[in-house]
Amino acid sequence: MTRIGAAKEFGSRLAWLAPAIAFLALFMVLPLFDVVRLSFTTASIIEPEYSYTLSSYAKVFGDKDFLWSLSITFIFVAANCALQIPLGLLIALAVHAGRDRNVYGSILARTAILTAWIIPGVLVGILWKTLLSSASSGIINHFIQSLGMERIPFLLDPLYAVISIIGANVWGGAAFCMILQYAGLQRIPAELYEVSRVDGARAWQQFLHITLPQLKPILFINLVLITISSFNTFDMIATLTSGGPAGTTEVLTLAAYIQVFTYWNMGRGSAIAVLLLTITVVMTVVYYKLFQLDEDIAE
Amino acid sequence: MHSRGRLDGTKILIYASYIVVVLVFWGPVTWMISLSLKTIPDILAYPPKLFPSRLAIENYGTIFEQSTIPRNMLNSAKITIITVLGTLLVTVPAAYAFSRFRFKGRTQILMAILLFQMISTLIIILPLYRYFIRLNLLDTHHGLILIYITVQIPFTVWLLKGFFDSIPKSLDEAARIDGASRLQSVIRVIVPVAMPGIAAAVLFNTINAWSQFLIPFILIGKGRLQPISVGVAKYAETVGEAIVTTHLLAAASLMAMLPAIAIFIVLQRFIVRILISGAVKG
Repeated sequence: MTRIGAAKEFGSRLAWLAPAIAFLALFMVLPLFDVVRLSFTTASIIEPEYSYTLSSYAKVFGDKDFLWSLSITFIFVAANCALQIPLGLLIALAVHAGRDRNVYGSILARTAILTAWIIPGVLVGILWKTLLSSASSGIINHFIQSLGMERIPFLLDPLYAVISIIGANVWGGAAFCMILQYAGLQRIPAELYEVSRVDGARAWQQFLHITLPQLKPILFINLVLITISSFNTFDMIATLTSGGPAGTTEVLTLAAYIQVFTYWNMGRGSAIAVLLLTITVVMTVVYYKLFQLDEDIAE
Repeated sequence: MHSRGRLDGTKILIYASYIVVVLVFWGPVTWMISLSLKTIPDILAYPPKLFPSRLAIENYGTIFEQSTIPRNMLNSAKITIITVLGTLLVTVPAAYAFSRFRFKGRTQILMAILLFQMISTLIIILPLYRYFIRLNLLDTHHGLILIYITVQIPFTVWLLKGFFDSIPKSLDEAARIDGASRLQSVIRVIVPVAMPGIAAAVLFNTINAWSQFLIPFILIGKGRLQPISVGVAKYAETVGEAIVTTHLLAAASLMAMLPAIAIFIVLQRFIVRILISGAVKG
């Protein structure tokens, strides 16, 4: 091809990508660089003047409330990974086994769990706030009382508030793990089970020696995705506890929001956002390595 | 081998797990439906009852007449429709390019797009808020839509690229030999064949755009301009913990989640198929 031809070809190819690249460059890449820059400034929302400083990070890491936010975020993420993945796997196994055996209701169970997943985070928060309320509309406390126990002030007590945000997030997110594991289960060749059945393996042995090893790659990917999405949770907690009581459930996303929009500290809020960004980048690289996308894309 | 028709231990276990799953995941929504149809005496009644003594459908009427919720829903509908169309306009050509062209930096750009999909909107919204103040784009729907389209691009490009990859290249090449331009071949050949993928993109983008909260929460301050997610959160804030408004909050919440749930229930087989194939492919 001639040089002019090649240039023309390049130009026409660029045109296909240009709109998407323009959107991403303006509203994604630019703000990403800018949030890093802002994290090194004294910027506030109202004052246009600011200077460059390292103090945002110093203040953030010297702040007890921030260290609490960091801890509670890690607890929240760890609990979500520890609960969502086994729960998703359990339900996936039940739905898969049910379809294998022509049991009625496997679609119904799948629909039920996916309904919770489709509900926007804001509404998951409002829903659970209502259910966990200490008023008579709080059905969960009614059940607890009918078991002969004391009412629990779920959203007013620090420990129970943490349990509540974890519980509500597991409720809304388990469906995603279920679908991922379910897809993984369907990929396991049936012959593997047949051979082991001939060898006299019991169901739990099959689970340990066939199902789990075969699912391992999917489980890892699931772990990475749940980690990222748990770190990024905002909507549900904003309506369920708003970070309360007294900041107990103020995860990093809420802490950044509050720094910027309550205290007008753009610099400190950005520093927290940069920390979140770092975690996301690391996890995405892990995800990428797991998939070995380079092979996949190069084909 | 498996279905002998008799009820063995495994089957009982499976049925039991289904009952638990349905109770745990539909129970809370059912309780909200019940609350939304209760009168105040029913709400205060102890012990609480699942079935209201009278179906208070007027609760929904109250929401329609005395709150901004209907306005917020209209805003969401408008924003969602424009976002979905805009996203398609931007992502179909991009996904086609990633599927059909080989160019320098292709893998890197795809990798960057994957990263963008993982990034919390909180991170980008802080600088965007500053730009929007200066550009006078706060409290505008078009400003909001630009950001919505941006955050939908990564997922949609990957989804559509997957569908385009599965279409044999010979198909569009044949069209081009017949004298069609690249654009014509995409419109006449690729898009019709990739219709299930485009439908999936429309579906997921609709649900995502409807659910967006953080972006409008920060960028739209005026109540009558807010989408439903923010509208219902603000409504929950104003009614607060007051017991006498629980039924109204329940009604407002159900109205807000209804479109997403309705779309899901009607198209669930299709959605599950896309999710599963997406999960397998990654």
